[in-house]
Amino acid sequence: MTIVGWAQIVLVLAAVIVAAVPLGAYIAHVLAGERTIFSRVLIPVERAFYKLSGVDPAREQSWLVYATAMLAFSLVGFLSLYALQRLQNVLPLNPQGFDPVPADLAFNTSMSFITNTNWQNYSGETTMSHLTQMLGLTVHNFVSAATGLAMAFALVRGFARAESATVGNFWVDLTRATLYVLLPLAIIVALALVAFGTPQTLAGSIEATTLEGAKQIISIGPVASQEAIKELGTNGGGFFNANSAHPYENPNAFTNMLEIWAILVFPFASVFAFGRAVFDFRQGRAIAIAMGIVLVTGIGVAYWAEANGNPLLTAIGVDPAGGNMEGKEVRFGTAMSAFFAAATTGTSTGAVNAMHDSFTPLGGLVPLFNMLLGCISPGGVGAGLYGFLVLAVVAVFVAGLMVGRTPEYLGKKIETREMKLAMLAVLIYPVTVLGFSAASVMVKSALDSLGNAGPHGLTEILYAFASTNANNGSAFAGLSGNTLWFNTTLGLAMFLGRFAYVIPVLALAGSFAKKKKAPASAGTFPTDGPLFVGLLLGVIVILYLLQYFPALALGPVVEHFLMQAGKTF
Amino acid sequence: MSHKVVAPGLFDPAIIRRATIDAFRKLDPRELARNPVIFVTEAVSVVVTIFFVRDLVTHNGVALFSGQIAAWLWFTVLFANFAEAVAEGRGKAQADALRRTRSDTHAKRLIDPEGKSGMKGVVEGVSALDLRVGDIVLVEAGDLIPGDGEIVEGVASVNESAITGESAPVIREAGGDRSAVTGGTTVLSDWIKVKVTAAPGSTFIDRMIALVEGAERQKTPNELALSILLSGLTIIFLIVCVTLWSLAGYSGTVLSVTVLIALLVCLIPTTIGGLLSAIGIAGMDRLIRFNVIATSGRAVEAAGDVDTLLLDKTGTITFGNRMADEFIPIGNVSEQGLAEAVMLASLADETPEGRSIVSLAKSRYGMTAPDISADARIVPFSAHTRISGVDLLGRALRKGAVDSILVARVIGIEGKVVLA
Repeated sequence: MTIVGWAQIVLVLAAVIVAAVPLGAYIAHVLAGERTIFSRVLIPVERAFYKLSGVDPAREQSWLVYATAMLAFSLVGFLSLYALQRLQNVLPLNPQGFDPVPADLAFNTSMSFITNTNWQNYSGETTMSHLTQMLGLTVHNFVSAATGLAMAFALVRGFARAESATVGNFWVDLTRATLYVLLPLAIIVALALVAFGTPQTLAGSIEATTLEGAKQIISIGPVASQEAIKELGTNGGGFFNANSAHPYENPNAFTNMLEIWAILVFPFASVFAFGRAVFDFRQGRAIAIAMGIVLVTGIGVAYWAEANGNPLLTAIGVDPAGGNMEGKEVRFGTAMSAFFAAATTGTSTGAVNAMHDSFTPLGGLVPLFNMLLGCISPGGVGAGLYGFLVLAVVAVFVAGLMVGRTPEYLGKKIETREMKLAMLAVLIYPVTVLGFSAASVMVKSALDSLGNAGPHGLTEILYAFASTNANNGSAFAGLSGNTLWFNTTLGLAMFLGRFAYVIPVLALAGSFAKKKKAPASAGTFPTDGPLFVGLLLGVIVILYLLQYFPALALGPVVEHFLMQAGKTF
Repeated sequence: MSHKVVAPGLFDPAIIRRATIDAFRKLDPRELARNPVIFVTEAVSVVVTIFFVRDLVTHNGVALFSGQIAAWLWFTVLFANFAEAVAEGRGKAQADALRRTRSDTHAKRLIDPEGKSGMKGVVEGVSALDLRVGDIVLVEAGDLIPGDGEIVEGVASVNESAITGESAPVIREAGGDRSAVTGGTTVLSDWIKVKVTAAPGSTFIDRMIALVEGAERQKTPNELALSILLSGLTIIFLIVCVTLWSLAGYSGTVLSVTVLIALLVCLIPTTIGGLLSAIGIAGMDRLIRFNVIATSGRAVEAAGDVDTLLLDKTGTITFGNRMADEFIPIGNVSEQGLAEAVMLASLADETPEGRSIVSLAKSRYGMTAPDISADARIVPFSAHTRISGVDLLGRALRKGAVDSILVARVIGIEGKVVLA
């Protein structure tokens, strides 16, 4: 590890925080329906949307109606995306004449994009027509992120409001999050990327003559715009197969830092927006700090593991000073690769600038564990916030019992119903990840998909389910996911990870919104101080480390010790 | 109140004995199902025991290993049951103590209230538990009223502080709407005849005993929420252990069910689950040490949520009775003179109020109660007059409620005591 490496990490994190605080205030204003700097331009557009779709923006919804609207929207998105893929041979804009996408792959891909996962079991340039890409996939890069933000805000309203039957209007939240929040910043980031050298053109490809005189066709396209929403919306589906490791997606160290910034800024901003919405900045700050501690711990471990290099390569004479450079870009090095890995899995982005499969076992453990946590450090756009708030509810409950009072979070009493919903949400992750992983290792066809044997193979399976369940979408490579078994099970994992989690969360929002707000008193457990942050981290450690330690011990941990003993897979 | 329920010690041998038996009785799955964590522990204990027996018979596995695991698991379940039984035992012991004071109460039942057989006014001593609805009992000054009833004859001042918390004695008399009396209260002066209206087992005190006993049966809201957290964790770790079997199989290890069960019990929150009810009851017990009686775990929890306490109470705190605390002379009466006068006037007042005046005069002013000579005329306190006093040689002393004194206009009053 070097000072320069850490300096870059600290610089980016500082830039994230500096931008996230005002951006959070902006998001809070937008979702409260207040006027902002873009209102003059965007209000007519917004009104036109409502008029076209017949939505009354003043009419608020109960949590059940809100959830139904969200599900209906997702269902329409799923069906249209599925139809686009299955019918792409008869639809226009298919110059390469691709066949329809197979049913199981189309199911997997549709689920992947409506859930903000962007897991890709296919190679875009050889499977999807232009129409499918543009009308299907790109649209969902925006709206699936906006959906996440909307749901987080439904929960935030649950805390902010008192004795209210409604939690907001899903259609309004969705429209505002897309129009006012995602779109403007995506444009700014895209322009910045162009300034740093990312191509943005409608031309298809360039023909180049190499030094040896051979002809090479280099594909280019509207990369910068795709890149911006890929990171900002924590989507992760890249323009090129190599994702952010590709020199056009991520040309240099500056774009790399900008992309990491773009990945982290919205999740942190939504936490500060939460603080603003409940009229207590420190509440948001406490959660941001807890998220930051998990994130920085991950960066530290990954960086340390990668900078130490591979002892087997050192033994045969490779200079260990460069660290483990297998599968990494020289222009990024170990520091920014480890940072990118922790950021992309701490959020639900899943973009990669280095191959996680080639990380050392402990380095690869960090992205895996981040996703097993459900991507909450700092999480996907909105998704990280509501994931963390559920944990905060559990933490406050435990703390409340310690001081002998009915636990309260932000003045809302946590009672049986809330506990039931929180546990229901927490339960989904181990059921999905461990259940599907355990089933997969017993299925012959699933084992055939593995690229590596032994513990590394187990890590690949765990990684795939952790990634899809947490709606991250980053792949550990090695695993060929385009089989009937994996297309189906990974698709189901994405479905459960998003919808089975968020419905209890929305119910929680409705339940909190109905409650009275108890004024804080001397006996109230403070949820804005270091004690609460510590407690929150304690709950995360106890809840998740215990859950996944047995599985992790059989995967990356045992692989680490075998590597030390000179055995690789 | 003179009756004080003495809380038994935590390791009272009687409680330990009963708890040990209860610990085994509570192994009944129907009873354990209320506590999911311990229920799961018991279920897996049974499974491991079956493996232990199989290992013993077939010599296939290591019987020593499965036997040891089974022993630990059963110990865990039994210890949780034992802790709960000890806590419950303390509650039961308190209820028993309350009940004992009830059966100790004696009643003076009128054998022939209507005087048909010429035995009018003759009473027999019976236990309060033997009273039936319709019996008429005589209650005199200083007696506990044996059961709920209605006064048919007489008027008396009754100390109801044990039930109502009101420190001033109240006047109860036959007829009208002030004729009802409650069992467990004390008659301070005069006598009354009470017609019993509640059968044993359904009196006010009985209902209170039932409340204390039934308290720990109800789960408090927080306990319910905690049970959900614990059940959730149990399910999660159950999944962890079940899936581990398959994942370990991939890695070439066959994990025996005994090992998986051992891991499961380590992971699930057995400690909290096992001690949960004991903790709740211990909280109530601890309150008793501070002289606060909690009727349920719910009440303890509600006490934890109190932000602001409003008290509407004019009586003297600590004792349930009115007490003299200070003599305030008016006009040119000396304090010493006033003290002497009120002491003499109160000698014939056997209510706690009167007694407290005498004891205050003795302790603070160093007075000694004089022998009342034969020619002195004593005026005892009664609920009718609300005045007590004494006529000495050339001196008539009276003490009482202000309005009674004004009405009576007794000559020669040398001072007045106003009791707050």
